[in-house]
Amino acid sequence: MGFLDSILGRGKAPVKASADRLFAMSTAGITLEASQSITTRGAAALVFQPLATGDFRTVLEEVEGILRGTGEETGSTIDTHEDAHGYRWMIIRDPDLEDLVVGLNSVMGSLETSGYADRVLCAVFAFEDERGTALYFIYNAKRGTWYPFVPVAAEKRDSEREMQLRAALGTELPFEAQLERWFPLWGIPI
Amino acid sequence: MRPTSFGRDTGLQARMLLTMFLLGLVYVVFIGFFVAAGAGAATMLVVFGMFAVLQFFLADKIGLRAMGAHEVAPEEAPELHAMIDRLCIQADIPKPKVAIANTRMPNAFAMGRSQKHATVCVTTGIMEILSPAELEGVIAHEITHIVNRDVAIMTFASFFASIAAMIAQNGFLFGGFGGGDDDDNPSFLVIMLVSIVVYAVSFMLMQALSRYREFAADRGAALITGRPSALASALNRISSGMDRIPQQDLRAAGEMQAFFIFPARAKGSVAGLFATHPPMEKRIERLMALEGQLQGAR
Repeated sequence: MGFLDSILGRGKAPVKASADRLFAMSTAGITLEASQSITTRGAAALVFQPLATGDFRTVLEEVEGILRGTGEETGSTIDTHEDAHGYRWMIIRDPDLEDLVVGLNSVMGSLETSGYADRVLCAVFAFEDERGTALYFIYNAKRGTWYPFVPVAAEKRDSEREMQLRAALGTELPFEAQLERWFPLWGIPI
Repeated sequence: MRPTSFGRDTGLQARMLLTMFLLGLVYVVFIGFFVAAGAGAATMLVVFGMFAVLQFFLADKIGLRAMGAHEVAPEEAPELHAMIDRLCIQADIPKPKVAIANTRMPNAFAMGRSQKHATVCVTTGIMEILSPAELEGVIAHEITHIVNRDVAIMTFASFFASIAAMIAQNGFLFGGFGGGDDDDNPSFLVIMLVSIVVYAVSFMLMQALSRYREFAADRGAALITGRPSALASALNRISSGMDRIPQQDLRAAGEMQAFFIFPARAKGSVAGLFATHPPMEKRIERLMALEGQLQGAR
């Protein structure tokens, strides 16, 4: 945010689309499987604030329609989940990671072209290791950066494992450099 | 591609700029006067300036202590932390410290000189009376204060005003400083008088600036949460709740009130010119206008 913006109290500049940063997940997924035996749980979600307006509802219906259409070819299914914080999760399920990335990118793209990019909180990709432990990669849509999130028990995270995951992927994923921005998301429904 | 669903409030920004310009003008005259007044007076300016700088760096700690607030860890207030985590992602700022003040007075405020040294504080009272969506709106308002660097800007804007106030109150300590040839230097009384005038004028300008920053923060909160109505409803609920709280509870320092979601002394009769916060009805009205803009999108 610019100096003038802050002097005038005008808030942040519009978010720029950074699709290739999201797409970095598809190659990172291959590395995870090959070197760490970490596989996708077959689910990913876009987390956003639903606006209570007719226009927003129309945009969402269109997006869902498109996803259902492509889902008939790829075999992906979608459903939604409302969380306790008033955010909506649009969940795509598909055993193929590539299809998940493409699907989420199209949702994000539609929200952006309709002027609702600001409403997107993040995208979440669910993975698991060979013991079945859930590992998440969270994409901060505002910054176009990724960070790992490994919740254990109630409101506790395994930071060591998160660091390992980042080290394992190195530069394959544009990771969030500031650790204090690795915000947790408790109660992930996927 | 369509623009984002909220436009820009150019009128508000123009008023803000004008106020800042006038404030700057008053200060330039103020400094010019001291330079013209000679060495003794300039020393006075520097000493009081150092006090003001010190205040800037300690203000957040003093403020939190004055409110009886204590920092809470994520384990102590998981819901509040989770809410602030999400708002920080939306606003794209590092997470501020989270504090809770144990008082029934419903209020919230942000402090700290920079985004990295910020604290958001809510009272137990406000957490009780507001719904989660309303509380989210209020916290988003405080987070916008951090994003807009309002604490630093208001401190900076009030820098010379507080020096003028200090001189007006304690200037007699330096009374003998004029020294030497009294014929060239204006008397100490003149310095006091100028300081009082500067303080009065800059005080009014600062109050106006503070009101504009409040509107900007309301707008920013709507932008972050996408729910202007939730904040409007929260403001309404707080304002009707405030009146029932006895006055003796309200001993918060005047300076801190600039960053409250709602001023501690809520009286309709307070002259608009001297209020740090815009009247509740006007804030709600503007939030509703935003909601209308949102509903009519396309």
